[in-house]
Amino acid sequence: MARAKGEEPKLDMTPMIDCVFQLLIFFIISLKPEDVIAHLDVNRPQSDAAAPQNQKTDLLQIGVYENGYTLNDRQVSYGSLEKMMARLADVSKTQTVVIKCALESPHRMLVEVLDLCSKLGLKNLSVMSM
Amino acid sequence: MARNKEYGINMDMTPMIDCVFQLMIFFIVTFKLDNDQINEKIELAKSPNGPKIEEKVPGTMIVEVDDRGLLSIGRVPMNEETLFGIVKQAVGRIGNNNVQILLRADRRAKHVYVKRAMDACTRAGVWRIQFAALKKKGG
Repeated sequence: MARAKGEEPKLDMTPMIDCVFQLLIFFIISLKPEDVIAHLDVNRPQSDAAAPQNQKTDLLQIGVYENGYTLNDRQVSYGSLEKMMARLADVSKTQTVVIKCALESPHRMLVEVLDLCSKLGLKNLSVMSM
Repeated sequence: MARNKEYGINMDMTPMIDCVFQLMIFFIVTFKLDNDQINEKIELAKSPNGPKIEEKVPGTMIVEVDDRGLLSIGRVPMNEETLFGIVKQAVGRIGNNNVQILLRADRRAKHVYVKRAMDACTRAGVWRIQFAALKKKGG
């Protein structure tokens, strides 16, 4: 009986383990964790309908140019834009933010502004081109 | 008794390995198909604070704008007129409140190219547009 037990491990596991190891390595290398994608919602006003809206006073206007930002027509750096926006967002989260984007500006800069608005909880965003 | 035990252990692994192989090939093929729908060359801009996309809303159209301004849907390049036609058709089918445009624009793309895509959508009657941005990079 004792002998029989000693003879038991007759099965050679090596090829199976080799194979499983290969599979494991393959999957570890090929598996790339998926990127988490955010969605930034904006309104796109029609150009003719947008013109009278600009007359309103409680409107926050951000300009995006290829070399910087403006807030209500004053040139600001990203850092001060962030600070001023935070103060303005404290007053009201529902105010309309109009983002005017220059045609030559990279899309990255528009997304930076939208991200900032999203961080501050501003929901009412309009993107215009100029 | 000892012999019986020996017979029990002596099993053939080949069918199991065959089966695992089949499964693996199946998963690799389906995985690749899913990825072909988007252009992987597009580098999205970063937005760590944006709300993340929880699940795909039916009626979502993914419009892509690469760094040179080429418009495409599902890797099929097109011009503004074709995009306008496709969006218009979708609006006609399910109504403009149910059409959701997700714009995947490259971070280096000039705004003028993004504007072209947005104008085509606006012309077709969709005013709400979502920009896709990278919240967290995987891996």
